[in-house]
Amino acid sequence: MKVLYGLAGLLGFGVLLELAPRLGLVSRDYAPPTSDILTTLAEQFGRGDFWVAVLDTLRTWLLGLVIAIALGVAIGVIIGSVPLLRAATASTIEFLRPIPSVALIPLVVVLQGPTVEATLILVVYAAFWQVLIQVLAGVADIDPVAADTARSFHLGRWDRIRFLVWPTALPYAVTGVRLAATVALILTITGELVMGSPGLGEEIANARSSGAVPEMYALIVVTGLFGVGANVLTRAAERRVLAWHPSVRLEVRVPA
Amino acid sequence: MLRRSRGHLAALLLATSLLVTACGSDKQGATSTPGQPDKVTVGVIPILDVAPIYLGLERNFFKDHNIDLTLKQAEGGAAIVPAVVSGEYQFGFSNSVSLLLAQSQTLPIKAVANGVNSTGEDGKDFAGLFVRPDSPIKTPKDLEGRKVAANTLQNIVDTSVRASVREDGGDPAKVEFTALPFPDQLPALQNGQVDAIFVVEPFQQAATAAGMRKIASSYVDVAPDLCVALYFTSEELLGQNPDLVKRFTDAMKESLKYANDNPGEAREIIGTYTKIAPEVIAKVTLPKWPPDINRDSIEKLADLAKDDKLLTNPVDVSKLLP
Amino acid sequence: MIVLRKIGLALGLPVVLVAIWWFASAGSTDFYFPSLEKIVKAFPDTWFGPRMVNDVLPSLLRLAIGYVAALVLGVGLGMLIGANPRLRAVVEPLLEFLRAIPPPVLVPILILIAGIGSTMKILVIISGCLWPILLNTVEGVRAVDEVLTDTCRSYRIRGGLRVWHLMVRSASPQIVAGARQALSIGIILMVISEMFAASSGLGYTVIQFKDGFRIPQMYTGVILLGLLGVLLALLFRLAERRVLGWYHGIRAVQKER
Repeated sequence: MKVLYGLAGLLGFGVLLELAPRLGLVSRDYAPPTSDILTTLAEQFGRGDFWVAVLDTLRTWLLGLVIAIALGVAIGVIIGSVPLLRAATASTIEFLRPIPSVALIPLVVVLQGPTVEATLILVVYAAFWQVLIQVLAGVADIDPVAADTARSFHLGRWDRIRFLVWPTALPYAVTGVRLAATVALILTITGELVMGSPGLGEEIANARSSGAVPEMYALIVVTGLFGVGANVLTRAAERRVLAWHPSVRLEVRVPA
Repeated sequence: MLRRSRGHLAALLLATSLLVTACGSDKQGATSTPGQPDKVTVGVIPILDVAPIYLGLERNFFKDHNIDLTLKQAEGGAAIVPAVVSGEYQFGFSNSVSLLLAQSQTLPIKAVANGVNSTGEDGKDFAGLFVRPDSPIKTPKDLEGRKVAANTLQNIVDTSVRASVREDGGDPAKVEFTALPFPDQLPALQNGQVDAIFVVEPFQQAATAAGMRKIASSYVDVAPDLCVALYFTSEELLGQNPDLVKRFTDAMKESLKYANDNPGEAREIIGTYTKIAPEVIAKVTLPKWPPDINRDSIEKLADLAKDDKLLTNPVDVSKLLP
Repeated sequence: MIVLRKIGLALGLPVVLVAIWWFASAGSTDFYFPSLEKIVKAFPDTWFGPRMVNDVLPSLLRLAIGYVAALVLGVGLGMLIGANPRLRAVVEPLLEFLRAIPPPVLVPILILIAGIGSTMKILVIISGCLWPILLNTVEGVRAVDEVLTDTCRSYRIRGGLRVWHLMVRSASPQIVAGARQALSIGIILMVISEMFAASSGLGYTVIQFKDGFRIPQMYTGVILLGLLGVLLALLFRLAERRVLGWYHGIRAVQKER
């Protein structure tokens, strides 16, 4: 049922974009109607280069995301659980966080050239902060009553993490993963676009510099679909992992 | 709860192992094994200008000089120059002003071969300065106080447009430039967001087809037969393996000459490494690809860049050129 | 004593890291990793001059406008979408689709719509800052305590009062978290928005340094962006303390033994 609603939303948007150029609201040369874009997209599916680029992008994206999550969760839990560490690292985190990943591009290109590895560094750098900040917020939000209960039951450090820290931080972490997934995708494509490392971003840049407008939009649509796919998967995972949390239970209870 | 924690732990271990394998990947580099051709990687931009090297690769000119050539596409000199300096690429393609800028900042690079030249024919170059058909701007002098789009600022495009304004008796300092990527320049011109654009092929073709009026061929105004771009290498490679650099230069000269003499084949090969539509490729004006570097034009370019205050440090053109 | 301790903690790690950077890079001849000394020396000439007024301030102004607009839009839309599961189901895939389009790709489309001036740059900033705020607002509204919702219903609290006291106040910790993230993203987008169709601005200047091979100056720009982030985060925390005073207060009381 939910899926149908979602499709309705996407379709509505597609219809809007079909009509706008046809009605002359935007120039047809630079904003081709949806039908043109979809036909070009279908043509793309037949090209080997296209699928190679898709695989390159997927690989960079997922690998970068997994590394960022692992680092973010591990470091976040450690820092969050030790107040002294948290206080000591706060200023450093605040300084490093807003440094635009695009500013790292020349450094990364020097180290690795316009390669998959270079894009990977950008992706991990940007996505890591998303996860870290969320996990830190989660660990800081531990219910004081629960914390007291844990203390009265003399729970050891490992048990505290498993039964107290982890469940509290989990919803935050999940949001962090969802944000990180999108940031990672954006940085993957941006890195490929700006540096020219192999992947969809590079294909988009190539289409742009060749003046192949429908093709460029077709590739953008693919990028958007990745974003939708990521969202669907993380929502499904969230359902399972957070089945006990009020927000999810409420929605499940009310019939759609 | 226990089961779920184990699952999370497993995921963490998997991630760490992936991280380790990712870091273990090796880099491309020039390797010299005796008896084998030298592996060489060249950074290029997927534009018309580099047709010769693709042709040379196809026709085995590089193989004949014992070079196993790989071409890697990047999005601009900004990505190629650092890669050449660090040794990731052995050679790269970049426009002359970028290389002059790099030289003035003491980057250890050296040009080795010609890249691409203007056709030298006013009105029939592979790039042009365009205005709207109904625009009051008739000659470059009228650009004073107007907005011109350039794909990168403080580089070859604005230097060339300023040269056109100077030639026409205008004051180049009164022209306002704004950075806009090539694909976005024509719509911006049509919408009145800029007053003039300077574009290279295939965008020149698009501008002409859209009815825009050409008022200058700025590359021609800079100097006769302007050398627009060059192939270059790092001083380190030059010192370590001068023989390889010489062989690459020879193969490059052959490729340039071949492309210059066989424009039909050049047009064909452009279709293989760019996404430009074949009917557009058939109509574009091709640049010239002379095998030798036009040193005078680069001196002229350096002088103009100095006058425009682009080059703040002194630059020794003879140090840059072979 | 406490003040000293606070300052010590805030500066401790950064000072150590800077010291390591200084000594590790001293005497470096690598073009792309100049010595920290060189970078620091280049700082005053590069930024304390006309650049501050002509480039830095306009960029900051655009950032401020874009951020506030994203806040208003994000919270407003987020409330609407979060409270209505059916609307969420319709709109969510579309939002995820749009969100995944990387800003450098979005810029040409925005140029078509909004031209090449400040409006376009502000739209770029909004287009990125919107998402964390929107997402977090939706999450915050979804997670409103059922007891509170039921209490409101029993007291027949409806309309504007309900939206403010029930939804906004309950969701405010989450909204503030989203606003915090949007701040960092905003700075990145400010730089990206000036990569195209720009002839001035903080981000534009840093990129010009990069393209002109003026690497020490480029590093000073990156450091300036970092300092900007610290400053904005500090300001944010001050504002947060006022807005979420009640939340921090409840937690503090509960934490006291």
